[in-house]
Amino acid sequence: MHVHELNPKKTLVAVIIFVLIIIIGFLTLKKPRFTYKLSPEQTLQLLHDEEALFHPYKLVEVLNKKNNNVVLIDIRDRFTYGQGHIPGAENISAYDLTDMKNIEHLKELQDANMTVVLYGNDQLQANGPWMWFRQVGFDNVKILLGGYGYYATHKNSLALTINDTSYLKGTPKYDYAKVASNVSAAGNSQKTSSKKPVVIRRKKKAAVAAGGC
Amino acid sequence: MNRNYFILTVLMLVLATGTLFLKQEPKRKQIKPEDLLYEIIQPTRYVTTDQIARIIIEKDPTLELVDVRDAKSYDQFALPNAINIPTDSLLSPNYQDYFGIPGMKVVFYSNDDILADQAWVLTRRMGINETYVMKGGLNHWIETIIQPKEPPEDAPYTAFEQYQFRKGAQMYFTGAKVDNTSQKKKKVIVKRRKKETAVAGGC
Repeated sequence: MHVHELNPKKTLVAVIIFVLIIIIGFLTLKKPRFTYKLSPEQTLQLLHDEEALFHPYKLVEVLNKKNNNVVLIDIRDRFTYGQGHIPGAENISAYDLTDMKNIEHLKELQDANMTVVLYGNDQLQANGPWMWFRQVGFDNVKILLGGYGYYATHKNSLALTINDTSYLKGTPKYDYAKVASNVSAAGNSQKTSSKKPVVIRRKKKAAVAAGGC
Repeated sequence: MNRNYFILTVLMLVLATGTLFLKQEPKRKQIKPEDLLYEIIQPTRYVTTDQIARIIIEKDPTLELVDVRDAKSYDQFALPNAINIPTDSLLSPNYQDYFGIPGMKVVFYSNDDILADQAWVLTRRMGINETYVMKGGLNHWIETIIQPKEPPEDAPYTAFEQYQFRKGAQMYFTGAKVDNTSQKKKKVIVKRRKKETAVAGGC
């Protein structure tokens, strides 16, 4: 005879406790702070989304206070920010982006339908953080093309940059194949021209030594 | 039959049917968003064109160059032994075997570095390790390796060393012979004086 058959209730109690523990475990499971809101495929779509980019000429409206729906965030460190930044930009260093208060601040901006524009020294510096914010659900975050570097050199003629394409990335600056073959051709032609054999002519002695001392 | 056993059986059956509705785990586990951001803000993923040139010249078999531009650009010009995986096809099942090979270092490059960096963020999120980005991309490759500029005279010694390396790399990648010193010895033709008739006279 089994032990539990002496007290049939014992098994039932054990089962109930077991199930309760599992349920409590699931309920108290720590909720992750961030989850991906965009699937990898949606992230690929984002890369073609012109709406997710912020062109430098649009800064004119922001700086004139004509467009008050934009908040600029400088993700460079405090020191670099102190040396110069776009007027009105807030400074949240990339290392502090996930601090509780910064994330809450960004959530408030999102709820208030504000557009957040991230910038670093160049576009590359802000590219990763921009993609990250988009992926975790901040769909109001845009990236400043050209970064601070482009702004700094064009700050007096920002409106004119609407026709400039030099800050757009991803375009080849050279015709690679042509440059490479030119370099190799230049080398080869030099090779052929300089391969002339050198002829050394020795001085002929005037005449046979005739006679003697 | 004992009533307690019956309850247990029902419980097991319920749990068993529950497993039918479990989502199939994706092949690779995505990394946590916090970890992704932590890695994004580190500059460790960037490698220079000089490093890449050196690795190619040394024929390091663990290097896997991935050209993320479109197929047309790839056909026109690509780095030696690079494979072409346009960013838009990064998630395609056809290309998944190229990633996550133990010991292999995947280096993304594009015209500059934005597209390659975006490919890096995506693949890193998908949990693929050992991925890098060639900083400056092909534009910088041309400026440093194919057409290196001589440093000014007051540049530090290391700048000249780097320039020497780049000139060597340029020859390696283009087949160009630029320095005369590297050419084969010139053939020297020596015309010997003809001996005249026998010496007449003498002491």
